Amino acid sequence: MSMMQTFRRRIGARALASLPALLGVIVFTFVLMRVLPGDPAVYFASGPNAGQAEIDGLRHKMGLDRPMPIQLAHYVAGIMTGDLGNSLTTGQPVMHDIQARLPASLELTLTALGLSLLLSLPLGIVSAWYANSRWDQCIRTLCTICFCIPPFVSAIFLIYVFYYIFGLVPDPTGRINIFTPLPHDITGFLLVDFLLTGDPAGWREAAGQLLLPAVTMALFVLSPLTRMTRASLLTVMNSDFIRTARAMGLPTWRIVTVYALRNALSPILTTIGIVFSTMLGANVLVEKVFSWPGVASYALDALVASDYAPVQGFILLMAILFIMVNLLVDILQGLVDPRVSME
Amino acid sequence: MPSLTARWMSPAARFFSHSPTTGIAAGATLMLAFLALTAPWISPYDPLASDVPHALQAPGPHHWFGTDELGRDVLSRVLAAGRLDLAIAVSAVGLSLAAGVTVGCFCGYLGGRLDRLVGRVVDVLTAFPLFVLAMALVAALGNSVENLIYATAIINFPFYIRVARAEVAARRHLGWVEAAHLSGNSTPRIVISFLLPNILPTVAIQASLNLGWAILNAAGLSFLGLGITVPTPEWGVMVANGAHFMSSGRWWLVLFPGSVLMLTILCFNLLGDGLRDLLDPRTRT
Amino acid sequence: MAVAGVTSRTPCDGIGHEGIRGMGITRRQGLLGALSFAAPAVLPVMADARQNGTTLRHITGNTVNTLDPTMLGATHESFGVSMNVYDRLVTFGRKQSGSIWTFDPDIITGELAERYEISDDGCTITLHLRPDATWHDGTPVTIDDVKWSLDRGVSARSLTAPQFSSGSLTSTEQFRVAGPRTIEILLPRPDRLALANLAMPYAIMINSRLARRHATPDDPWAQQWMQQNTAAGGAYRVERFTPGVNIILTRNDAWGARSAGTSPFFERVISQTVPEATTRASLVERGDADIVIDLEAYDVIAMMARRRVRINSVFQSNCFTHLAFDTQSPPFDNVKVRQAIASALPYQDMFTASLFGRGHPLFDAGWRETPSDISFPQALPLATDLTLARQLLADAGFPDGFATTFSYATSQATTAEPMAALIQEALKRIGIRVDIRKLPDAEFNTLEAEKRLPFYTDTAAGWIQRTYYFFYLYFTRNQRWNFSSWNSPRMVDLTGAARFETDRARYEDACRKMIALLADQVPLIMLWQPNMDAVTSPDIDGFTYQFHRQIDFRSLRRV
Repeated sequence: MSMMQTFRRRIGARALASLPALLGVIVFTFVLMRVLPGDPAVYFASGPNAGQAEIDGLRHKMGLDRPMPIQLAHYVAGIMTGDLGNSLTTGQPVMHDIQARLPASLELTLTALGLSLLLSLPLGIVSAWYANSRWDQCIRTLCTICFCIPPFVSAIFLIYVFYYIFGLVPDPTGRINIFTPLPHDITGFLLVDFLLTGDPAGWREAAGQLLLPAVTMALFVLSPLTRMTRASLLTVMNSDFIRTARAMGLPTWRIVTVYALRNALSPILTTIGIVFSTMLGANVLVEKVFSWPGVASYALDALVASDYAPVQGFILLMAILFIMVNLLVDILQGLVDPRVSME
Repeated sequence: MPSLTARWMSPAARFFSHSPTTGIAAGATLMLAFLALTAPWISPYDPLASDVPHALQAPGPHHWFGTDELGRDVLSRVLAAGRLDLAIAVSAVGLSLAAGVTVGCFCGYLGGRLDRLVGRVVDVLTAFPLFVLAMALVAALGNSVENLIYATAIINFPFYIRVARAEVAARRHLGWVEAAHLSGNSTPRIVISFLLPNILPTVAIQASLNLGWAILNAAGLSFLGLGITVPTPEWGVMVANGAHFMSSGRWWLVLFPGSVLMLTILCFNLLGDGLRDLLDPRTRT
Repeated sequence: MAVAGVTSRTPCDGIGHEGIRGMGITRRQGLLGALSFAAPAVLPVMADARQNGTTLRHITGNTVNTLDPTMLGATHESFGVSMNVYDRLVTFGRKQSGSIWTFDPDIITGELAERYEISDDGCTITLHLRPDATWHDGTPVTIDDVKWSLDRGVSARSLTAPQFSSGSLTSTEQFRVAGPRTIEILLPRPDRLALANLAMPYAIMINSRLARRHATPDDPWAQQWMQQNTAAGGAYRVERFTPGVNIILTRNDAWGARSAGTSPFFERVISQTVPEATTRASLVERGDADIVIDLEAYDVIAMMARRRVRINSVFQSNCFTHLAFDTQSPPFDNVKVRQAIASALPYQDMFTASLFGRGHPLFDAGWRETPSDISFPQALPLATDLTLARQLLADAGFPDGFATTFSYATSQATTAEPMAALIQEALKRIGIRVDIRKLPDAEFNTLEAEKRLPFYTDTAAGWIQRTYYFFYLYFTRNQRWNFSSWNSPRMVDLTGAARFETDRARYEDACRKMIALLADQVPLIMLWQPNMDAVTSPDIDGFTYQFHRQIDFRSLRRV
């Protein structure tokens, strides 16, 4: 009980401590977006015959004619009330767009991470246990090859083979076939919602759409996860207590799962955290190719158009997610490896 | 007689004979570096010279790797691109590694207020979705090779700090570190002579991954239209453009630069692994 | 413009104009005939999806960002949707050449108006409303709705006002209600573009009672509300609109039921965003999508060989890709420098490498001094001649050349990159060192609008296909669409005179002089008119190339 309380206090402290980081992200992004050489007012007002008057009008409407510190103050004040501004590309409030699109990105990323872990943990263990054997070499080479293919290339290739040639997967146009009625929006995660509404056909279809993009992403992160599992297991397995365990004749599986893996978890967790962050960023490419209506492709379109608000909103959202993931990783690390203190 | 030679072999040579994969990877890396350096002299054609009437020719005796949409020789372009890519990867990783490890080690060892401050800065940096950060940086700074290197270095920088910091922090209270401290070694000396060698394996793994990552990063950016501009040959750009030709049957445009790109990253990674085995004192026999 | 799949250049084309003949057909008509009979080699997986075949699935690389096409920043796709959802008073006719339908810029017929008359002096246009027209909510269309819609066009801050001004429509007083179903449009002078302006996507007719309910003191024309909602009466209603993802339209049966109306074939139209061009190609080829108009040329060529789809190819007669110079600053203020570059470019190679020859070249014309006809854009006498180029450059005072930059927007990279590499290589031969700059679209547009690009490429399309209008829009005045910032008093005189000229011979004479002046002074090098390749399932018929370069769903049917 008291441990739970300490725990809660620690989490609270950590969350509080990440506020400056968030503020840093907000300011940095804000400035970075203003440094972008495109002028959104010119971009969006450049219709036929639109002249200086239209451009100035739009600039005023967007508040771009005010000094930058005041714009920043307005922006931060807006964030406090949950207002992230309006997107010029979709004409919607950014908050609304992000709420609608975030579940799509998260569903994809989490599925891909899960798939990847399912593969990489066993591979890493085999690789470490039979270190430098032919198995080890094969696994390492295979993982590296997966990592060496840029995700957009593997995405295009997978679509070409599995959709275009063999027709094994549904058309790669988003989360669900456009003709299928959507489930009631409960969590926003289609797989969960279909399950909750008891629609197995819909679930299968959503899963089918999810398969290819998730595999694309999973393949890309297979290598870092397997490598880190192997590396940290190797470090542990060369340590004295494992040698002792081996000398005492404990069964292999017991040594690996109980002693080695538990002690090797800390760097693996760090890697999972990093990989998760990377995947959210790498989503940009995969979402683009698979027409996935996620937040990353939303931010990309906005970036190209110098549409400040969605990019700022996206980066802020990602920052919050990352901080939460890091917090989680730190907490878990504190649990599995007392050497790393919460401080 | 062999045992006598073995005794006199350098540790590196002994290591390579122990791990042939690493030897092959090292050889291949040297070969790639050699080809990249001598590209201007060994290329069969000018990598920039167009020949539109002979565009999109399949590999053949005149063009071993075929020609691209402007009739340029793909082999010559792959060779020329190697120069640029290795330069980008090495400088970007070098920059972030040097800066990141230095900062990370001292923070990990010293702890305290400095550590917390740097921790916050790292939090800010890592809190960015990295690829989007790179996109925004290149978009803000402009499309050029230098900016690509800076952007890649900046997004990798926090990883080195984190890895170095975590590794040092886990060791700073160990007996031999305290002993070194008590026997009057200065902080820089403890960090450089005692702690750095211990964290190098982890950093080396990170760096070997990053070398490939840097090239992939450039490729991803150019797929989205950011990064290196035409007509400069670069593997990532070539793969990105070639990927579009895949469905119309022009496989050579993506296969050759893609294979070399893959081979390079493979070599970097295998070398990194070998390096780890070499540097980790506990695996040394 | 042949746009790369990944990004979209939001801003739209030029203003409307009217028609010139020669909406062209490509050399591939014969093949197309054969293609339309080619059986689909791969059967669609989602057969259940379009059971009775009355749903059309359209995919595009770009997005609809507003339901109000007059909004600043509306995308091309938004214009396309509004053409199907809203009615305008009048519309262009359509004509068939071979197997391809195109709009007919010379024929203007009623749409929401039943008929119209133009007074003898050309200063009054009288339009008569259809008696049985209704809005989507079932209420009848009144003449007050029409008046309000036109007033909105000239009053609200939108894309309409600048467009309307090209047809001398500038004030609400010009729109006079002359009866319960009659409106008069009064013109200060017989402007040859006034009527055509009423057929533009900006001239939408709005259910004013519905729209006014959502107007606010700050927003008297309900512009905010109309971005996400419609107050329309056109052939389709918006069933669902997810910006950036898809838009679903359902047929408005009342539209087809009104007098002399024809109901569109498709009951439902799904327009979906698929950013990756290769994926779009796969979708339509596998039969999972019915129509796509923005594919890359190399995919189209591969599809032609495989013959699983129907390819409607037509060059975009009101569109042109060009190289623009900053004619206000050195070195391009010197006409000899521009002429030197125009003589140094490898036109045929550029055309082949950028478009795989899929378009209509605007170089290598047969005429020298005066053009044989007044169609525009038309090919100009530009040809590669390196000796002449070097001579001109030396005459201009740059015997050793100079250094400059060449820019293009990221979204146009697929066509502009090969072009840029060839230009760099060719100009190096006459001593000009070119630094290539690929700019993100927002940056490119900003620099282009601020006239800060010395040398660049872009593609433009005019909606009203009249020769005078192209010159007025693209080669006069200090404004956004004068790409080269060209300031030629002679051109200003010629366009000014042509605008209100009623004598046919004198008008044509002025137009010939404009074309010859452009060919001589080369403020801008016209390169080519890219093809529109509308790729459809073999059973889709009736595709019509429209001036707005989007799909008119109303004319499509499944056979």
